[in-house]
Amino acid sequence: MSHPRLTGALRSFSNVCKKEDFTEQRYDLKTKRLKRQELFAKEGLTWQKIVHFCSEHQDRAKQQAASQELKSLLLAAKQIVGADHGQEAIESAAVFLFETFHNKDHVGTEETRSIRQMFGPFPSVAAETSCNCVARLVAPLENSNVEDFIQTHSSHHNSKRGSSFGRNIVFSYDCYTLDPLEDFPSSSSHKDMSLDM
Amino acid sequence: MASARVPLDEQVVTEPGPVGKERTLPALHPERKEDRCFVPYKLLVEDASPAEVEEFLEYVRFIIEDLEWLLALPHDKFWCQVLFDESLQMCLESYLRHAPRSLDITVLPSSPAVAEMQRSIHKTIFLTFLRMATHKESKENFFTPSVFGEIIYENFLFDIPKILDLCVLFGKGNGHLLHKMIDNIFTQQPSYYSDLEETVPTVLRVFDSILDKCGLQCEGATAIEPLRLTAHKQPTAMSMEQQDFVDILLYLSDSTTTIHAFMDIFPAACTTFLSHGFLGRLTLFYEAAVPDLERAVRKRNFDDKGLQEDLWRRLSHSCRKMVESAHLLLHHTCLQPILEGKENMQTFAEELLQHFTSFLPEKRFLADYNEQFPITDDISLLHQAIPVIDETRTSYILQGVESAHDSLGRGRPQSLVQFRAFS
Repeated sequence: MSHPRLTGALRSFSNVCKKEDFTEQRYDLKTKRLKRQELFAKEGLTWQKIVHFCSEHQDRAKQQAASQELKSLLLAAKQIVGADHGQEAIESAAVFLFETFHNKDHVGTEETRSIRQMFGPFPSVAAETSCNCVARLVAPLENSNVEDFIQTHSSHHNSKRGSSFGRNIVFSYDCYTLDPLEDFPSSSSHKDMSLDM
Repeated sequence: MASARVPLDEQVVTEPGPVGKERTLPALHPERKEDRCFVPYKLLVEDASPAEVEEFLEYVRFIIEDLEWLLALPHDKFWCQVLFDESLQMCLESYLRHAPRSLDITVLPSSPAVAEMQRSIHKTIFLTFLRMATHKESKENFFTPSVFGEIIYENFLFDIPKILDLCVLFGKGNGHLLHKMIDNIFTQQPSYYSDLEETVPTVLRVFDSILDKCGLQCEGATAIEPLRLTAHKQPTAMSMEQQDFVDILLYLSDSTTTIHAFMDIFPAACTTFLSHGFLGRLTLFYEAAVPDLERAVRKRNFDDKGLQEDLWRRLSHSCRKMVESAHLLLHHTCLQPILEGKENMQTFAEELLQHFTSFLPEKRFLADYNEQFPITDDISLLHQAIPVIDETRTSYILQGVESAHDSLGRGRPQSLVQFRAFS
């Protein structure tokens, strides 16, 4: 239930603000997740780049093993994103999973939250599979190489390095609190009563 | 990249179009905004289920992520998003409307995750409004001031309800920054003063509506809405449903806190409030409503004694805010010019005495005001600043103050006794 507010009355009864129907639901979580997936897919890192990165400079046996892991990762991504999505969306999800797990050895709370935020509810076994696949994919590679690869190709990581407005602003979380002129009279009247008795 | 040392509103950019071909556009152009889909902030209900809490957290995470992205955008891209992305404006306004105030009777669940996210979104929202209120971000990134004023006004980036929300949500600890923001908004776009002029009567109607709901009337309210002869008998503060009574006290504490926060942060608004007879209406309201509401809080039958005490504290808090608002009005419009030794000091002194005289019939208000802001102090100041002050008049006012205290059975304040002894 919304609280009775002065500004609510001003919005309703004055002509100094834009009249909009705030009961109308513009974007829900599902729409937002789809938009987020779409934006993620436009970022620099692609599935093809990951395939190439995991396969280059490897002997034939290791290339085959990597290829198998990449297939498994795609399958897990399909389970997470949903079977009704096209190959492009599945590959984009696999990229996301690779980025999420490239430096993790298990599916923690943060990773669960991150996947859920991107795709909504998902089967946990698919996340476990993804995590294990990515771990096996990056195991033969140098950690620093993997990190460099992600940093170089992901515009998501690059944008976070930039400066942000207000980073030096000292912000206070203080808020107004009740500041009564006087206490509730019953406490004093109780005192009076006990004195009388 | 937009060119440097030219106001953003005059810049043009050359960048690849949708089909990859280079094109030249004004830096502020709808096609330069990104399709981001900002989600609205939703109120988390008191008895929210774990699923509802999780949903709330997801919405908040999306908002924080999107606003952090927005704040990291270069100046020109930030403004394209602000001006042309309706979902962003909806998101910001939804926060102002629904964000929990510290004075709300129901606060957010005490889950650490919710509290942490709430803190995080609170700061990010503030920084976004701060950036929107800044017309010159750096030597390279700035607007032509008049165009900035036009842009924020025409696009409703700020309006009076939003400004009031900002004051009550962020004013306690960020008053200095908020003052600079609001001052800049009103300076670059004086039409906000006209909007404020238009808003004050609605604020007054809020007080009238509270009186009306309590079956009370004051002169101002009667003048606006004459009571129909066939009107049904109004419920009173004693007889109305408990939830309605709680709502009235919540409404009153929110309204008085918001008005006080705004006047405190942006004193220039005091003149507008005063010119609409706000002070007189406030004192009339105080006199009519406070004793009645106090009586109702004491006498009504509450199953929950905690609620009863909470309502008393809310009402008493509202009284403090009304008294403090009256003092702010007098301070900024009469006392400050006298303290600064401005021209026409006699006129300001005259106005102050006139206001004090108008308080005299409102004994409850006068006594409460005098306890917080001794009128003797101000009269003493007048005597020092203006030698030709009418002593008969000041003496008459002080007698009225004494009489107010006496009639309420309150002892005379020490300040008054001392002043009388020395004068």
